[in-house]
Amino acid sequence: MSTSPDQTYLARTFDDDRYAWARGRRVRRRAVLAEAALLAALVAVTVAAATTSAGWTTSFFVVWTVGMLGFIPLHSVLNLGIRGVFDRDGRSLDEHQQRLRDRSFVAVAWPTTALHFSAFTGAVAVVALTGHVALALCLGFLLWFAAGLLAYWHLAWTAPDEPDDA
Amino acid sequence: MHDRIAVLRADRGVSRKELADAVGVHPQTIGYVERGEYSPSLALALRIARFFELPVEAVFSLDPLPSLSQELLRRTS
Repeated sequence: MSTSPDQTYLARTFDDDRYAWARGRRVRRRAVLAEAALLAALVAVTVAAATTSAGWTTSFFVVWTVGMLGFIPLHSVLNLGIRGVFDRDGRSLDEHQQRLRDRSFVAVAWPTTALHFSAFTGAVAVVALTGHVALALCLGFLLWFAAGLLAYWHLAWTAPDEPDDA
Repeated sequence: MHDRIAVLRADRGVSRKELADAVGVHPQTIGYVERGEYSPSLALALRIARFFELPVEAVFSLDPLPSLSQELLRRTS
């Protein structure tokens, strides 16, 4: 497998040296921790809101919106740190990048399946116990979202530092 | 897997990027191969060997490769 001679704009952005600062292990791991903490906090807020009689409130909507907006720059940094190997056209990846991507997919396969299952059961449980359908959908979405992010987190956490003068 | 890519690059005055472009991978992948953190596919190893115009066993080895200076001394002594 070789790199495509016609790199997409997205691939060129991920390979841009202006974002080399995001590829250090420390930055990548901090981005992973920040994303995981943000999602955990949103899950906690959603569960807490579900335990109240009011359920969906304006304050919950504001917290949810701020959290989701905050996710955008965090994930941008994380994705730049791993050169966007999960989001780029496969033809723009070389054999080493494809191996890294496949390794992370395999490593988190079971946790991803467990999170998908918990997303379904969690949402069903919230509806059954509290009757708050909107909050149940929020909880299910967050857990489903986290399942999709596990491979990103694994790669960002475990990828070796790139050679300095590459 | 052991290799002589870094030595050969220095000898030929070739940057990682030039080698990477010639063999169709990203420059950091060449760095990983040089550091022994990634074993290239057979196709990539052959392309690298062809770039240096050397047999693949002169560039890659399963055993530690002797330094080129030692090889030279052995052949001239």
